Amino acid sequence: MSPRGPLLLDFRGVHTHYGPLHVLKGVSYEIYEGEIVSLLGGNASGKSTTMKTVLGLVRPTEGTIRFRGEPIHALRTSEIVKRGIAPVPEGRRVFPRMTIVENLEMGRYTRRSEPGWDADLDRVFGLFPVLKERRQQLAGTMSGGEQQMLAIARALMTNPRLLCMDEPSMGLAPRLVEDVFDIIRAINGQGTTIFVIEQNVNMALSVAHRGYVLQMGEVVLSGAAAELLENPLIQKAYLGSA
Amino acid sequence: MHTLDVLLQQVVNGLALGMMYALLALGFTMVYGIIELINFAHFSVFMTGTFVGLMVLNLMGVTAVSASLQGPALVGTLIALFLATMVATGVLGVLIERICLRPVRHVSGTAPMITTIGVAFILINIMLLTWGPQTQRFPQLLPNWRWGVGGAEISFKQIVLFVVGLLLMLGLWHLVRRTTLGKAMRATAQDADAARMMGIDVDRVVVVTFFLGSALAGAGSLFFGLYYGFTGYYIGYTTGLRAFTSAVLGGIGSIPGAVLGGLLIGLTQSLGGQFLGVKWTDVIIFSILIIVMVLRPNGLLGTRTPQKA
Amino acid sequence: MGLARWRALPLARRRHILAVVLLAVGAAFPFLSGNAGNVDAAANAFTYVLLALGLNIVVGFAGLLDLGYAAFFAIGAYGYGIAASGQLKLEWSSLWEPLAFMGQVSRLVVPGQPDTVQFHFAFWPMLAVTAILCALFGVLFGAPTLRLRGDYLAIVTLGFGEIVPVVARNWEGLTNGAQGLGGIRTPRLFGYEFGFSPYPYYFLGLGLVALAVWLSIRLQESRVGRAWMAIREDELAAGAMGVNHVHYKLLAFAMGAAVGGLAGTFYVAKLTTATPDMFTFPVSVMVLVMVVLGGMGSIRGVVVAALFLAFLQSVILQELTDWVHALGRLVDSGFLQRIELITSLELIFGVILVLMMIFRREGIWPAVRRVSALTPEQQAAAPSRGAAVQLSWSQAARADAPPRALLEIESLSKQFGGVAAADRISLIVRAGELVSVIGPNGSGKTTLFNLITGLITRDSGSIRLEGREIGGLPAHAIVARGVARTFQNIRLFNNLSVLENLLVGEHSRLQAGALGAVFRPPRVRAEERAAVDRALEVLGLFGNRLLPRLDHPAYGLSYANRRRTEIARAIMTQPKLLLLDEPAAGMNPAETLELMDLVKALRGLGITIVLIEHKLDVVMDMSDRVIVLDHGVKIAEGAPVEVRNDERVIEAYLGRRRRAA
Repeated sequence: MSPRGPLLLDFRGVHTHYGPLHVLKGVSYEIYEGEIVSLLGGNASGKSTTMKTVLGLVRPTEGTIRFRGEPIHALRTSEIVKRGIAPVPEGRRVFPRMTIVENLEMGRYTRRSEPGWDADLDRVFGLFPVLKERRQQLAGTMSGGEQQMLAIARALMTNPRLLCMDEPSMGLAPRLVEDVFDIIRAINGQGTTIFVIEQNVNMALSVAHRGYVLQMGEVVLSGAAAELLENPLIQKAYLGSA
Repeated sequence: MHTLDVLLQQVVNGLALGMMYALLALGFTMVYGIIELINFAHFSVFMTGTFVGLMVLNLMGVTAVSASLQGPALVGTLIALFLATMVATGVLGVLIERICLRPVRHVSGTAPMITTIGVAFILINIMLLTWGPQTQRFPQLLPNWRWGVGGAEISFKQIVLFVVGLLLMLGLWHLVRRTTLGKAMRATAQDADAARMMGIDVDRVVVVTFFLGSALAGAGSLFFGLYYGFTGYYIGYTTGLRAFTSAVLGGIGSIPGAVLGGLLIGLTQSLGGQFLGVKWTDVIIFSILIIVMVLRPNGLLGTRTPQKA
Repeated sequence: MGLARWRALPLARRRHILAVVLLAVGAAFPFLSGNAGNVDAAANAFTYVLLALGLNIVVGFAGLLDLGYAAFFAIGAYGYGIAASGQLKLEWSSLWEPLAFMGQVSRLVVPGQPDTVQFHFAFWPMLAVTAILCALFGVLFGAPTLRLRGDYLAIVTLGFGEIVPVVARNWEGLTNGAQGLGGIRTPRLFGYEFGFSPYPYYFLGLGLVALAVWLSIRLQESRVGRAWMAIREDELAAGAMGVNHVHYKLLAFAMGAAVGGLAGTFYVAKLTTATPDMFTFPVSVMVLVMVVLGGMGSIRGVVVAALFLAFLQSVILQELTDWVHALGRLVDSGFLQRIELITSLELIFGVILVLMMIFRREGIWPAVRRVSALTPEQQAAAPSRGAAVQLSWSQAARADAPPRALLEIESLSKQFGGVAAADRISLIVRAGELVSVIGPNGSGKTTLFNLITGLITRDSGSIRLEGREIGGLPAHAIVARGVARTFQNIRLFNNLSVLENLLVGEHSRLQAGALGAVFRPPRVRAEERAAVDRALEVLGLFGNRLLPRLDHPAYGLSYANRRRTEIARAIMTQPKLLLLDEPAAGMNPAETLELMDLVKALRGLGITIVLIEHKLDVVMDMSDRVIVLDHGVKIAEGAPVEVRNDERVIEAYLGRRRRAA
């Protein structure tokens, strides 16, 4: 049974456009506190646009997004982040010529005047001992897997209520991918709600509680992760009809 | 005079000049680092700074004729002068950014740069119309003490410039490396979208960068006035192109690069002027500019490579 | 003549009438104005119009921001100035005999000193000589900028623009330094000496401007002009359509410089003096302001803006100043009485630049996108209906022809920052096939296309088209060999019309160069007509989707039509191998079906097709073979049915199953 706290993120009937291109065509999903929810889809499904829309980098042309009951779809990114949504962007996007610690400092930017830096840092180093060892290393010189750790750690510095991860497996060797998803489980175990946007169906559904499948900008499947995993329609959504 | 003495003298002169170019190049490179804009107007802000300095001194009752302050009065005057001028030029830079540059910030291509050329022309001509084409005398506040070092001479002015310049650069270094705001600026320069995702207000960072860069240009402008003792509406152009070359040589977008480039160009100007003739220094410096841009666009210390169009 | 009747006339006729009228007005002006001062101002203004037209070629047509254009003005000016004044004093030698015979130089005999040669070259041949000289400098100054981005290119040209007047100021032997040249010989035509009267210069200037306008129009509406505009709009896509950007950029610099040289020679002949201060950065900026104000690329806009600004400088500001002075006397304002508006000319330039960039980047009188005039037959072209797709110039593959390898890729590899985007990929595509390349995000499909088409260079491995190696060739050369592509995110030439986009596609199959563009011999005219015919044919393949819109600018098209136009443009290159990168992305099912029907039909034209597509049911339906990439490696290949059920492929898309937790 998936842990179901109160409704955290309500993404309802959202349409987005990119110039003349209609990308999201009325997408709806919910995320409850304590869960890991996965949004899946192949290329050109619109899944990356989803995270950008949640973060306020793309504005919906229709529909609403509510976080803890409050609408956020018209807010600026800095506001949204302050409210407790932290992103782990596609491709990591760590700041290459800043050290690990400086990157973490940027992660905590919206809380920079609040006390608790040491506690937050320790917590994150506890999850990622590798980062503690190399704290003064420049982020750009790290491997892909290490950068992924850093990107996740950076997002955790604000102690977010909702961690949004965009394609964490992208560009990583299979064994590292397993490690990343292990960490996702561990973070969730500590109480953080996680929204994972992923192309890698099997990995994502092996840690998620629930999932949604996006195809051409619309949700075509949804349900408990275990059921979705066995659903032959998923294969069809990715690989075309039999 | 021994060639070695001449050499040493020109090295000293060159380094002093280089400090001024470095200050000017710093502001320019900081803006480029953040929004990838070649801001011609920066050098007109520099020129305007000298006139602001003149006005500030006038207000304080210090004119070209009466300048003979001593001790604490001198120090106080200098501090007031620098503060007032730097704030004024900083504000001017911010106004330019908000009114003229922000509307074209997201236009691709050369439109933003062309806009800065327009702004530069506007500033230059406002100064020309207000003050006239003749050179203006700048009060020689600093006493003309000189000391012999080896076979060369170093003047009090030069020492003051070195010290003040170093202080400003250290201040900038501290800001950029140690403070959260400075780190936010660096983060924005390295990846503006990711910075946004961290909750950094990129627009505000741009404004702060313009303020700081223009304030540094203001400091550089006072260096010019105090060192050379004159100013005119045209100085932004000549000095500006040299500072621009400094930024490019050092690596556009790189702060240490701007300092290194500035010093190198300062040395090039004084040594080149001495051994090849003053009238050819411009050709030398422009040639350096062209060569660097064509052969090594990211300069000595820079990390960005200007992409093929 | 009513407006409707005017519009009904064919374009060429309208142009002829306009030209005659304008020339008549121009010729009559000196006599109507009755004031030699006005004529003189107009003659000077013509100089600026010439400069603006020249810069328009570089900035407006080709999109190369030249901030040092005054350098060519200077070279033209000093070129003629030195040749026509007593400046240079070289020792006499027999080399000068032929020129002395032609009356271009004289031998100066001064007792007690070696004989020297004195130059007094005639104006008319020097016009041509300085134009050529400037063209050479245009190439010289342009060459270092070829790889640079827009603002960096501008800075380098600025650098050259600065060096020239400094050299002029300091190389006193050649140029007489800051004092400048004096005593430059004025033109002489059939014994008539131009002297100091403005009238002959006025007519000469009018003639030069007419020449420059004619040149500009001819170039703009030719293969050369289209190549320039393609480079301006999207250099990468231009290369992918066969445009050699090195050649055309240098050509633009050369032609722009040549016109600048004409202006310099003319101006200096009229002034009979040349000083370095006439060619400084503010002059370059002034010409830029004229082009920006009129509209980059708009010949008519640039001419009008140049005339306006020239008159502003010479006449209007002075009259305004007088008016302001009078006002000052009226309201007894000392300030107003002292103003000299002429000194604020550069201020006005700055304001114009800023306002135009913020509010109206396309200029005050932008060019109307005008297509090569269609003949009546062409205008009546009906869209092709029915299943059979025919193109008059294509060869269908013979059914009995043995399958031969068209594209052979062997062990192709490419790394980006340590990550292998392509890892020893080997594959063969046979003529006439339709092959699909699929794979999850980041698997290297587009990289493969980029490698084949020369957009990026391989690290190792070989790519052979019909047995000949194409790896390492520049993109435009690969197009000429017969490979065309479309882009995942659509790269059309946005400000060009649909038809013009297609005509650029034909670039590598046409031959007209700059001379052909300007003089339009019958061969070139026939070539253009045929090119338009072929374009109409290809547009007709898309039913009535594109034909009615053939003169619409590409940026205004719907998403699906943009895709179609891009495909049509690629077909125009007459490819043997067509690479389509996600052609159906963003299209609804009906549009996708229509498109795929077309793609299938293209095979009947003998075009081999390689397709990257994510709509896998589409792919499965029409491909002969499917190749699957993952992380830069080819992991599967075969018939669609085989591939779809291949374990490795499923795993690549869906991810490996987790180890038991």
